[in-house]
Amino acid sequence: MFEHNKLSSPVAEFNGVSFRYGTGSEILKDIQLTLDPGSFHFMTGESGAGKTSLLSLLYMNHLPTRGRVRLFGKAVDTLSHAEKAQIRRQIGVVFQDYRLLAHLNAFDNVALPLRIAGVRESEIKRHVSELLAWVGLEKQLRAFPEELSGGEKQRIAIARAVINRPQLLVADEPTGNVDDAMAKRLLYLFLELNKLGTTIVIATHNQSLVRHFGFDELHLSRGHIQRITAATRARNVPYGEGGEKVASAQGGEA
Amino acid sequence: MRKPSDIPFAQDSSRFFVGWISMLMVFIATLICAFALITYSSVQAWYDNISGSLTVQIPSYDKEGKSRKDVLQNDIETALTILRSTDGITGANVLDDSQMDLLMAPWMGDQVATSELPLPKIIDVSVDTHHLPDLAQIKADLAEQVPLAVLDSHRVALADLVDLAYNVIKLVGGVLLLLLVSMAFSIMFVTQSGLKVHQQVIALIHLMGAGDFYITRQFANRSFVISLTGSLIGFALALPVMMGFAYCLNNLTGSFILIPALSGMQWGVLIAIPFLAAVLAYLTAFRTVWSALKRSL
Repeated sequence: MFEHNKLSSPVAEFNGVSFRYGTGSEILKDIQLTLDPGSFHFMTGESGAGKTSLLSLLYMNHLPTRGRVRLFGKAVDTLSHAEKAQIRRQIGVVFQDYRLLAHLNAFDNVALPLRIAGVRESEIKRHVSELLAWVGLEKQLRAFPEELSGGEKQRIAIARAVINRPQLLVADEPTGNVDDAMAKRLLYLFLELNKLGTTIVIATHNQSLVRHFGFDELHLSRGHIQRITAATRARNVPYGEGGEKVASAQGGEA
Repeated sequence: MRKPSDIPFAQDSSRFFVGWISMLMVFIATLICAFALITYSSVQAWYDNISGSLTVQIPSYDKEGKSRKDVLQNDIETALTILRSTDGITGANVLDDSQMDLLMAPWMGDQVATSELPLPKIIDVSVDTHHLPDLAQIKADLAEQVPLAVLDSHRVALADLVDLAYNVIKLVGGVLLLLLVSMAFSIMFVTQSGLKVHQQVIALIHLMGAGDFYITRQFANRSFVISLTGSLIGFALALPVMMGFAYCLNNLTGSFILIPALSGMQWGVLIAIPFLAAVLAYLTAFRTVWSALKRSL
């Protein structure tokens, strides 16, 4: 189950996507976006720019108000419940507020996606222990979320998102509560996954990380999206002046 | 290591309600089911009493002690005509002297000729066991045309009792059905409340790729376990009550009406009640959650 299927079609395609909550104003406007298999993107933008909303469309927490989202080649608005579940098992999500289950300890929180996928308990034990050791929480296997610090919870949330080696990893501020050293360590974990073929989208405010890793940046501003390449960033061109419109770009050339 | 439940049911106080409702329902259901089974057994015993044969007695002497020799044969013929023309009666014959001698031998000895005694003439009536005659109608016809004829009266009363008992069993069946429906509705509402309490966790598990069946099964399994626990307690509480009732009834009625013991199969029916209640709880919870998830995004 840990082997990726080789994908040829885009992992995600947004075609004229707009989104609003209820009858509120549009948060995302006419988004055109393609995420190729194995690509790595940072998503940046001011608070309230729509990063979390865009990510939630990526992991099918919401449906677009207008336009169409396709994941792994399938239009999400036409999926059956069973198809949705199958696709969601290929997506790992790191939530900004972690969303750990308070009644489960660190081990069981991380094991959850594997149990949902029906993996044998012996395998779960091995993989979860290894991963928790990797994120430095091998001594907190039995600790419940309320006993952990913000940074520890964040690492558990990350471990839970990557445990089943998803084909698409969506992370909302995954390094917001850890120091720079741990942030880089976690980013290297994402990088390892990316080398195995996982497409990664990380929403972050941490510009030093973005610059350090040098991947393309999807910048959201007033509901619109722009792609900033490493070269553009190196020339220090302000957003909206030198950034290419993502509408015509593919995102896999990181 | 025991695999924990993904959904924090332990924090959901509504689970106690499923246990309580199961306990109460099974307690009541066991008692009324036992009552119905015992009534059924009694009815069977009574039915055996009234099926097979009946007797009609026609006195040879009137109440003043005068011989009725001149009208006796006519009364017998009339009674036979009534009996033989009634649905459910397969035969009616007057016992002859030798049969009467044989019948009376245990009391009179075999040296006495019963024909010389003022004994009534007895008509032996064979009854279709699958289609009992209307005894009340026979009694009325005899009273009109052969006023001194006596139909085996306790059997008529027993026939009425059998009718009553069957109606009681039907009523008990209705009450049982009502109990089951009430239990199913209670569990449905508790499950719906549980779905609301746990909706954030369910949403999260959904986002991780859990299918509707995965989530539904957890609710249904939980409902089954809690209901089975409550049901077994309810059943255990019903047993001493049931036995106490049987003991009191047997003491009260003495040998007049003997409360029959339950057969092995009837015990099997009673023992199945808590398990059936738990299965009902499982199916109700499953259907409730499944329908709710199908309606969700």
